[in-house]
Amino acid sequence: MKKLLTKYYSWIDERVHLEDLVHFMGKKYVPIHRHSVWYYFGGVSLFLFIIQVITGIMLLLYYKGSEELAFESIQFIISKVEFGWLIRSIHSWAANLFVLAAMIHMFSVYFEKAYRKPREITWLTGMLMFFLALGFGFSGYLLPWNELAFFATKVGTDIAGVVPGIGEPILLFLRAGEDVTGATLSRFFGFHVAVFPGIFTVLLGIHLVLVQRQGMSEPHGFNPNEGNGEKTMPFFPNFLLRDLLLWLIVLNLLAILAVFFPWELGKKADAFAPAPAGIKPEWYFMFMFQTLKLIPAKIWFMDGEVIGILTFGAAGALWMFVPFWDRKSSKGEKNRLINYLGIFAVIYIIILTILGWIL
Amino acid sequence: MKYLSTAILKVTLILCFTGIAFAQDQCYTCHQALGDKPATMYKKDIHFAKGISCASCHGGDSKKEEMEAAMDPATGFKGVPTGDEVSKTCATCHADAEKMKTLGSTLPTTQWEHLQSSVHGKLSVSGKENIVQCTTCHSVHDIVSVKNPTSPVYPLNAVKTCTKCHADASFMKTYNPSLPVDQFEKYRTSVHGTLNGKGDPKAAECASCHGSHDIRSAKDAKSKVYAANLPATCSSCHSDAEYMKGYNIPTDQHANFSKSVHGIALLEKHDIAAPACNDCHGNHGAMPPGVESISKVCGTCHALNADLFSSSPHKKAFDERKLPECETCHGNHDISPASKSLLGVSNDAVCSKCHSEQENPKGFTVARMMRTMIDSLETLEQTASGLIDEAEQKGMEVSESKFKLRDAHQARLQSRTAVHSFNEEKFREVVTKGLTVAHEVGTEGKAAVDEFYFRRWGLGVATLIITIVGISLYLMIRRIERRQSLSKTKTQ
Repeated sequence: MKKLLTKYYSWIDERVHLEDLVHFMGKKYVPIHRHSVWYYFGGVSLFLFIIQVITGIMLLLYYKGSEELAFESIQFIISKVEFGWLIRSIHSWAANLFVLAAMIHMFSVYFEKAYRKPREITWLTGMLMFFLALGFGFSGYLLPWNELAFFATKVGTDIAGVVPGIGEPILLFLRAGEDVTGATLSRFFGFHVAVFPGIFTVLLGIHLVLVQRQGMSEPHGFNPNEGNGEKTMPFFPNFLLRDLLLWLIVLNLLAILAVFFPWELGKKADAFAPAPAGIKPEWYFMFMFQTLKLIPAKIWFMDGEVIGILTFGAAGALWMFVPFWDRKSSKGEKNRLINYLGIFAVIYIIILTILGWIL
Repeated sequence: MKYLSTAILKVTLILCFTGIAFAQDQCYTCHQALGDKPATMYKKDIHFAKGISCASCHGGDSKKEEMEAAMDPATGFKGVPTGDEVSKTCATCHADAEKMKTLGSTLPTTQWEHLQSSVHGKLSVSGKENIVQCTTCHSVHDIVSVKNPTSPVYPLNAVKTCTKCHADASFMKTYNPSLPVDQFEKYRTSVHGTLNGKGDPKAAECASCHGSHDIRSAKDAKSKVYAANLPATCSSCHSDAEYMKGYNIPTDQHANFSKSVHGIALLEKHDIAAPACNDCHGNHGAMPPGVESISKVCGTCHALNADLFSSSPHKKAFDERKLPECETCHGNHDISPASKSLLGVSNDAVCSKCHSEQENPKGFTVARMMRTMIDSLETLEQTASGLIDEAEQKGMEVSESKFKLRDAHQARLQSRTAVHSFNEEKFREVVTKGLTVAHEVGTEGKAAVDEFYFRRWGLGVATLIITIVGISLYLMIRRIERRQSLSKTKTQ
């Protein structure tokens, strides 16, 4: 067996010079310190994205993206297609875990200030991918064309429509008309399976190339060569095998979730039916939704909702461009403000999400 | 004897008082002297007997001898009241409890109020007055007590009084073109109408069911003949054993009806589509349905059952034996929900009343077969339903099977109807369809439940494999790192 593998490896190596790549990876080191565990979340996010691509393609073989057939095709997938239930459930669960892993990855990079020079582009591509992940979630949520998805999309696009000036055109663009209809479904389907994956793949390529090129970010003052006990670990095979081990655990977790908590399909959407009580967005939008619910209708002369949306927009932009205004971290200095802002954001998101579920 | 002399004394006093009163009533004196018709008629009027002067209704001063002075508008003379003024004039006394008490009347004082809110209190086509005034039914100047046989509203005369308008098609269509005008003809064919025609004032006439002043449309929930109120209206006489004495019919119909499937639907569930008394007996032509016509009467709602029965072998057999059709098995007023216990050959089954194994083996066999098949279908449907519920509770997608299960349920309902064909082949066809669907659904339900456990086992196996691979990976990492550590030590 070993002989056979060596034979195949030599055959490929002869043609594409794999040895160079192994040598490159063998020279790449991962710092070992008390926050090293957060490095794994980038890999977990990547793994979950790969699962999304694979299960998404499998679902695409049966899914029909039209108002009349979308719901029925999912029903067919989960009841008639062999292991269709598993693929659909894994796709739905992996989508949520993907957003969660990406969020943890983003916050860990933020608190480690790993975005600082020279990794600004890595941070920017990561942030763009995170926004795309939210877009994947929002567009994919409508695809089963069930009651909950229909009204959640209605509410979600309504919120987008509130933005002054550009809100109305955005709403019309997202819905492909005045209301959420079959045209919206087709549009969301197109975004979900073609536009977003295309952009995401390009961004992911840049992100991964940069990570490989620049190596893992080290914390402030980390220096393994000074004999102070600080260590590193070869990326290949040590870190990669650990990554693989974690991926296996995540895969098992997904299987458990899919079997014990199969993703429900609910009732088919009916545009003429009254909105069901307690419509809630996906958990990752909950803190924004809850904020807009709690904000007063009028603040001074402006609509509370408009102020809320503009504030979230500004906070998102500030967050995204943190490498460019956090000069201290780039210079290797400590910046406590960044930590306070990050802690505030985490606490705010957690509290508002909990409030969204209990209120 | 004492009471008689007191009564004579009272009558004499009233007459004397009336005589004195009218001797002073110049209106009456002059108009009577002139041979005026109203004045002549008024002598018989109950109001005359009560000493009510002409001026009470027409206004003016009845004490004045001069015509101009007596009929001077300044004295309140209004002449002949017209339109709604007629009823208002009556209401000045009849809606005033104090006045009526002074006149020694025990009549209710709500007639005018009731009339206003009744179907007759609506605006007439002229747009100037209500459709009906008091005088329309009670007449004028010769009004007598309703108990007086000469009164137009006396039970034996009331029908004709109502008919004056209600049998006039050209008049009635100006108000309600869809309202029939043959009520009188139908009434005369009814038991009530026949007795009324023979001079029985106790037999129900129009007002007995519709009310008098408070008549409302049959569609009005407050109407005495509104579907949900009708059983109580009929039972006001028919459940009164004292009143019904002499008619030789039972008085427990309402009690039985209230407990029946129809009564519960109508009176408890307020389903006005459920039959009230009139739906089976007719309303104006009310009469118990004849033995041969029962299936036709029940068939107005239970059409399929009636059709199947009419073409079944039971039709002829029932007619020959003078057995009331549906009633023989289901009863009449006390019809309970038709359950499968009626079918079969057990002691409580109705089939066994006529079909015994010795005397009628064919009917006995068919009855037993029908019951067995219906039981099998019910059992199979319940099993399938249980499996589908179980699969659904376990989170399996079984909506299609659940939808299909309706066909089995439908077949079971159809089989209950198909029983009335009393035809083995027809019945078997319907039940077999249900059995096939129920079996299919049951198989699908079981497959879904099995699939659930398969998923659990599959997960167990997958977890085991992943765990083994994970442990191997972990051991591999340790081995590699141990090797790296050794080679590092050697290098140092």
